[in-house]
Amino acid sequence: MRHSEAELRALMAAGLDGDAAAHAALLRTLVPLMRSFFRRRMRGDEDIEDLVQETLIAIHTKRGTYDRDRPFTAWLYAVARYRLIDHLRRRRVSVPIEDVEAILATEGFEEALTARVDVDRLLSGLSTKQARAIRDTHLDGLSVAEAADGARIGRSDVKVSVHRGLKALAARLREQQR
Amino acid sequence: MTAEFETGGGTERLIAALAADVPPVARRFIGRRIALGIAGGGVVSIGLVFALFGMRPDFSQAVFGVSFWMKWAYTISLGLIAVAATVRLARPIGGSLLMLWPLALPVLLLAALAFEEMARTPVHDWLSMWLGGSWDRCPWRVLLLAAPIFLGLLWSFRKLAPTDLRAAGAAAGLAAGAWAATIYCLHCDEFAAVFVLTWYTLGILLAAALGALIGPRVLRW
Repeated sequence: MRHSEAELRALMAAGLDGDAAAHAALLRTLVPLMRSFFRRRMRGDEDIEDLVQETLIAIHTKRGTYDRDRPFTAWLYAVARYRLIDHLRRRRVSVPIEDVEAILATEGFEEALTARVDVDRLLSGLSTKQARAIRDTHLDGLSVAEAADGARIGRSDVKVSVHRGLKALAARLREQQR
Repeated sequence: MTAEFETGGGTERLIAALAADVPPVARRFIGRRIALGIAGGGVVSIGLVFALFGMRPDFSQAVFGVSFWMKWAYTISLGLIAVAATVRLARPIGGSLLMLWPLALPVLLLAALAFEEMARTPVHDWLSMWLGGSWDRCPWRVLLLAAPIFLGLLWSFRKLAPTDLRAAGAAAGLAAGAWAATIYCLHCDEFAAVFVLTWYTLGILLAAALGALIGPRVLRW
């Protein structure tokens, strides 16, 4: 989860105030989010890009229904869920779809929202290499190989950095509790 | 921000096209849009009252009477509650029809008034009080006058995003019915609370039921 609720919400609010660049950036940012949302809930792959585009159009034409004082992701996933249900209805397929609260939990936003702040503060105490290794493998879901390639270090280096970093974090947490 | 710019060519073109048209959106957009739709339809309904039924002849005296304002207080309060529910249901995850529970207050107040009036009236006059002179026309006329307002609301909903279409249709129908009843008061010279409680409410409920019936079809987006 690279984008926080706060970022998306700021882009949406700027778009509602007429900032076209922020609006375009928001739609672009949402594309991968929407792809994985639909991929997780559909069997075939062929309709996913259609659904993503339909959802982008809905987000654009119905943007007036977003209330600046409410969570953006809840609104977003409610729109995406409606588009998915409508799509399946047209195909005459019936698939049970979780309600929006369940979707928010699966898509990880609730934890992401509350956890990110704490994690950022904790990781800031580590060396950059250790912090990045932990972030890549434990927060962003990369494999060790991907993290190694991204940081241009060896795989064993990633493993060691994660191991030492987590140990240091554990020590700091124990200290804080005392 | 380092967004993942791996969007497909078609999707990227779509985003560029959408981003070419980003007018600012007013705060309270939903409420304004719904108010505008109701006002537009309401003007047509007022025109219909003048064309089909005519203003009540004693209108200029009636506005100083209690029964006229009893009727307006009832229909306007139903209208405001219905509009509040419609506004909520016009956005994704907008809530449920449970928001309509404040409707109980005007209904109960009017019922209390009806009982009080009947207690002061001899029993053999109750039937004529209840049926008035227009019981068989009142609900249908309210329903007829609700149609333009409902159409106005359909226009409002073109930019709105209900996800519970049946509930949104019911709330919109209720709002259309309540404002239609408010407009019908320009013509109707019935004065008994029990008449209003029965026949006005029936017309408003017919509009709400019709809205719930067609909501899933006409509110799709």
